[in-house]
Amino acid sequence: MKSDMLSTAREGAALARRCGAQDAAVVAYRSRQVSVEWRDGKLEKIGESTTRGLALELFADGRWASVSTSDLRPDALARFVADAVALTRKLEPDPFRALPDPALYRGQASLALDLVDPGVGSLSSARRREMCREAEEAARGGPGADRLVSVSTSFGDGLHESWRVHTNGFEGERRATDFWISAVVSARDADGRRPEEWDAAGARHLAELPAAGEVGRRAAERARARLGARKAPSEVTALVVDGRAAGRLVSALLDPMGGGSLQQRRSFLEGKVGQVIGSPLLSLDDDPLRPRALGSRLFDSEGLAARRFPLFDGGRLASYYLDTYYARKLGLTPTTRSTSNLTWRTGPEGQEGLLRSVGDGFLVTGFLGGNSNSTTGDFSLGMNGFRIRGGAQAEPVAEMNASGNLLTLWKALAAVGNDPYPWSPLRTPTLVFEGVAVAGT
Amino acid sequence: MAKREGIGYFARFGVTERWIAEALAEALSRGADHADVFFQHRVSTSLALQDGAVNRAFQGVSLGVGVRAVKGDQQGYGFTEDLSPEALRECARTAAAIADGPARPGPQAFHVSPRPARYPVQRPWSQVRPEERLPLLSALNERAFAADPRMVKVSVSLSDGEGAILVADSQGRIVEDDQPMTTLALSCVAEQGGRRETGGYNVAGRAGFEFYGPDRLDRLVHRAVERTLLLFEAVPAPVGEMPVVLAAGSSGILLHEAIGHGMEADFNRKNTSIYADRIGKPVARPFVSIVDDATVPGARGAINVDDEGNAAGRTVLVENGVLATYLHDAISARHYGVVPTGNGRRESYQHAPLPRMRATYMLPGPHRHDEIVASVKRGLYCDHFQNGQVNIGAGDFTFYVKSGWLIEDGKRTRPVKDVNIIGNGPRVLEQVDMVGDDLVVDEGGWTCGKDGQSVPVSQGMPTVRVASLTVGGQGKG
Repeated sequence: MKSDMLSTAREGAALARRCGAQDAAVVAYRSRQVSVEWRDGKLEKIGESTTRGLALELFADGRWASVSTSDLRPDALARFVADAVALTRKLEPDPFRALPDPALYRGQASLALDLVDPGVGSLSSARRREMCREAEEAARGGPGADRLVSVSTSFGDGLHESWRVHTNGFEGERRATDFWISAVVSARDADGRRPEEWDAAGARHLAELPAAGEVGRRAAERARARLGARKAPSEVTALVVDGRAAGRLVSALLDPMGGGSLQQRRSFLEGKVGQVIGSPLLSLDDDPLRPRALGSRLFDSEGLAARRFPLFDGGRLASYYLDTYYARKLGLTPTTRSTSNLTWRTGPEGQEGLLRSVGDGFLVTGFLGGNSNSTTGDFSLGMNGFRIRGGAQAEPVAEMNASGNLLTLWKALAAVGNDPYPWSPLRTPTLVFEGVAVAGT
Repeated sequence: MAKREGIGYFARFGVTERWIAEALAEALSRGADHADVFFQHRVSTSLALQDGAVNRAFQGVSLGVGVRAVKGDQQGYGFTEDLSPEALRECARTAAAIADGPARPGPQAFHVSPRPARYPVQRPWSQVRPEERLPLLSALNERAFAADPRMVKVSVSLSDGEGAILVADSQGRIVEDDQPMTTLALSCVAEQGGRRETGGYNVAGRAGFEFYGPDRLDRLVHRAVERTLLLFEAVPAPVGEMPVVLAAGSSGILLHEAIGHGMEADFNRKNTSIYADRIGKPVARPFVSIVDDATVPGARGAINVDDEGNAAGRTVLVENGVLATYLHDAISARHYGVVPTGNGRRESYQHAPLPRMRATYMLPGPHRHDEIVASVKRGLYCDHFQNGQVNIGAGDFTFYVKSGWLIEDGKRTRPVKDVNIIGNGPRVLEQVDMVGDDLVVDEGGWTCGKDGQSVPVSQGMPTVRVASLTVGGQGKG
């Protein structure tokens, strides 16, 4: 099967050339996924599937298109590629489109990223159901079980494989497994509201997941803690943002670092490399070579050899995310198109210590909707969490909002925790911001 | 076996009735109550203009089938892109494992169900050559730049799709549909005194190339430019609780978040919605009626049938202030012992259907637009939205206002921008205290996400006053 998909990718590239494209970057992919959902003592849903397809970037007569198909029947595929090349040739030319410089393919790290758990094929459906059941039982086993109206748990695993072939010499294979477990718990509040909370974890290797019971127990604890949540008065105050939620703020900072945003002049970080954007505590790298991590890769989505590079260093913006196309348009050197993993310079304290030093404010455990403007840096996000009183987590709050400008916010970063959230490639620790406008009553 | 009055998709999918019958029999082989297969073939094309040239195209073809077995509230699902009889049966075996009992018989014969025609197409996208599409984008680019010297970047994208679906189920029903879709988006970056702002407008519908008549294109350019330049005049949005007036049109996002999701019957059968157990109870004033409607001609959220093959009509969520009907898929309809409402939708063959909205809007009420604005001493007028989200159980929801206006002493005065608004669904419905007579179903390209599945939707609203919502600005309270 492996060699089948590699030859499908090679044939796709050859087909593109036969149809009149001078160059092509082709990916053949296959992904097998199994999932089990469990609710209130019984199976809710099972799913199992293998999906596959072919994606091509076509370079024809100075023109460019990006196409994909899941219809790999030979006749259909041949017709699809021929039509796609014909469409490409009808476009207006773009002198900046070309395959990456082959020099950038070279120098891949000689490192075992260990992204495949060899046990993936032997996991039984009974074991998957058992983990779902354990998670539910632990959720229901804690105090206040009579307040829970529903517990849903799920487990899923997958094997994802792809083969990339470029007509200017690149060939690469990528294989990774993943395993996910989650628990979602709804509790009944006195006034009829049913606040819902969750816990989840995902990893490349099954052994790295926490015990199913731990996931269920944490979800139930969090749901119970939401009971009686109220809106608090509007004020300007400190926010301690839990690492599970803080990724939202980090993405808002990373989006305007993308080549497309910069070149299209939709970025409040345009022209700011080398400038101070955040407080001296803001230091993080893009780190694709971390073994077993969710965002790890030896080469990126253009075949460029992956390497670690700094994004912010002591508050200074160090690099952008630049793919070949937008780097050419901007006259800069490509880095990589998108985030792999983040590695933060963490602080000495955990969340409890940070709450103590903050004294009063809000602990944000979740954002709800809202948005941020990459062009201006303005943001406004719904939030829920807890009051911080006397240096500790106090009563729950809901239906509130935090807003400001990202340039101000990141300069007000007052502390970074020692607790990167491990189940997201952003791996964000607890972050403390001072002087944020919070809206409530 | 079947009467040949369908639209002939067996050939398109290269399958036969016998394969389908065998797959359904396999899906029922362990005692499921119900089984269905969902074939889909979709071709989507997008052309985009950046930096003055239509220099990029994106195209996707997806072809596949999903097989489902249902036992009570439980379901098994498998899908494949390999449309061979062996692969179909393998998917069916996967799905069948949700049940654990003696086999039930599969369908003996198939019959093709009729369907309405809510989105007739005059110029199918498969017949519109690139040479016709490119000038549309280039002209919009030129017009946006010509509109104002402050314009620094313009991008345009034209997306279209044609999708065929075929649903066959264990009752022997076969339903087919053709589902066209198109979206045209114009996005601008403007600069004034070293400050930069982005804005835009988009239009969408289930239609062919004829959708883009001169009026629609004029509106697209005018609104995209106007909305961008308005942002330079914006003052900081206020903070805290205040009356909010929602303009006619895309303000329907409030309904989508505040009540629509909470009325999706899966959350209610699971007892996790704040609206569980509230059917038949008053939730709003008598002049508030809210519907979810599959029948709006050519609307992005319109469907002829749902993705389970069930008839889709107009479902009343709130009738004269009283909570009326949940939005059902087949599983929840069986759970509640009611007729499905045609809300069983899915992103593609890779997903099992879920109760989803179609076009959700509030019916016109007794008040006039000017009267509503004049009634507010100090508040916010919202008319351009970007996104929203809801916590189904707690009822808290948000919607993001890209731009709006302050209302001071009964008049719209200064614009505000980039502000999130947050409220609680049932409380906000109680606080809708004026409803205008000027319903508009928005023409924008709205997409709803749930459980990792995106589906196209529409939303609409007359001008409405909500007595109090929390406004997440940074200005004075």
